[in-house]
Amino acid sequence: MKRGLLIVGHGSHLNPNSSAPVYEQAARVRARGAFDEVRVGFWKEEPSLARSLDAFEASDVTVVPLFISTGYFTEQVIPRELRLSGRVSRVDGRTVRYTEAIGAHPRLADVIVERALEAGASHEDALAVLGHGTPKNPNSERNVYRQSEYVAARKTFREVVTVFMDQEPNMREVLQLTRAPKVVIVPLFVADGWHVDETIPDELALDGACTRRDGRELRYARAVGTHPSIADVILAAAEEASQW
Amino acid sequence: MSDPLGALEERKPFTFGELLVQPDGDEGWRVEPEGQSGEPREVAPDPELLRQLVRFDESGRYRPLSGARTLPRGWVVRAPDRHSLEAVLEAIYPLALVHLRQLREGKLRVVPLDEVLGRQSGRYAVARELSGEGRELVRRLLCGTCVRVPVWAGEEPAAEIPCPEACSVFVSFCREAALWERGEGAGGHDRSGEAAPEWADFEHPRNELRQAFLRLRGIVSARGAVR
Repeated sequence: MKRGLLIVGHGSHLNPNSSAPVYEQAARVRARGAFDEVRVGFWKEEPSLARSLDAFEASDVTVVPLFISTGYFTEQVIPRELRLSGRVSRVDGRTVRYTEAIGAHPRLADVIVERALEAGASHEDALAVLGHGTPKNPNSERNVYRQSEYVAARKTFREVVTVFMDQEPNMREVLQLTRAPKVVIVPLFVADGWHVDETIPDELALDGACTRRDGRELRYARAVGTHPSIADVILAAAEEASQW
Repeated sequence: MSDPLGALEERKPFTFGELLVQPDGDEGWRVEPEGQSGEPREVAPDPELLRQLVRFDESGRYRPLSGARTLPRGWVVRAPDRHSLEAVLEAIYPLALVHLRQLREGKLRVVPLDEVLGRQSGRYAVARELSGEGRELVRRLLCGTCVRVPVWAGEEPAAEIPCPEACSVFVSFCREAALWERGEGAGGHDRSGEAAPEWADFEHPRNELRQAFLRLRGIVSARGAVR
């Protein structure tokens, strides 16, 4: 039996870079050789979600959403477009397994820790997990808090806090919410795009990767979703789904 | 025009969207934009490189619709064998060969526009309200720029790439068009000082497809005034 893996992302009609992490992670996962076929599908690019199963020769396909939030896209749009009926579906004669967003997976916490360490964090420092958040959808914060809890449970850093770009507690309060002299902010985003590269650094008035303020130090890491270890999270989620 | 799948089997030249594909040596294939002149740059048959290459048109504008007739020119790829050729074509026109094969085998799943628009939710739910005339105009304007033939609209491809289901750009255009028909958002504030809008930025007053729709649908006058 051939096994396939479909990694799905949002994509964009306007931003040519937004799908890059999906292609990069797919290439990494493909190189591991655990699946006979590894393909990608997008809401706003090609191959479209609705047609992304068409090319599979595999009779057993696992779909992993490269999304941080569990919510509208992962619970409504993706299942609808792929014609899924539940966690395991039959679609056009194939078995299709559908995992949660990678943002819900406990292994993602390892990647957050790796990003923080790369940005210079040590045991004495505070880690701020920065999510998008939105007052419009209370579910969007859930995985951000969940990942903060996973990271805190590892006890790698002295403090772990959760902040958001678009809701409370807001990222602008990060120095008030922490006590350690050095605070490392890790953006829990899929891509190094407009938010991670522009909106967040602008709003926090960051001077690049390291900012000194009020006698303290703010470090800013790269987006979690572009880290090479995301491939491990995707594979872990897909491997669990193969047991269903 | 020769059938691409037959030509592949018989090792004959064929066109595929805007591409010219020709046998090259014993097993290889040469792929380049059709009708280009001069000395094209040779590009490795690496799907990822090619995907990046065709992501922008010659003016550097993003191409979110792979079938848009705006493929950049000036390049050629030599695929060493059929497997490599198929990967090259997949990178430039995703799913095109798959859908051609499914059409030939009578297995292409064709989804009507009513179903595509009817299942939309959130900000796209309004797309289903677009009138019949509006839908037809979106098809003329958008599908008219695309190498794929909309089988979902009843068209029958001779040897072209079939399109079995309206794409996300089509749905996005329908959403905006439905709002314009309602009298919402057809004017837009002056953004003339900004850079040229993206090809699929239908909310931008200077988007060409938007302007064509509003004019042909009679929502704005030739001078741009909302009626």
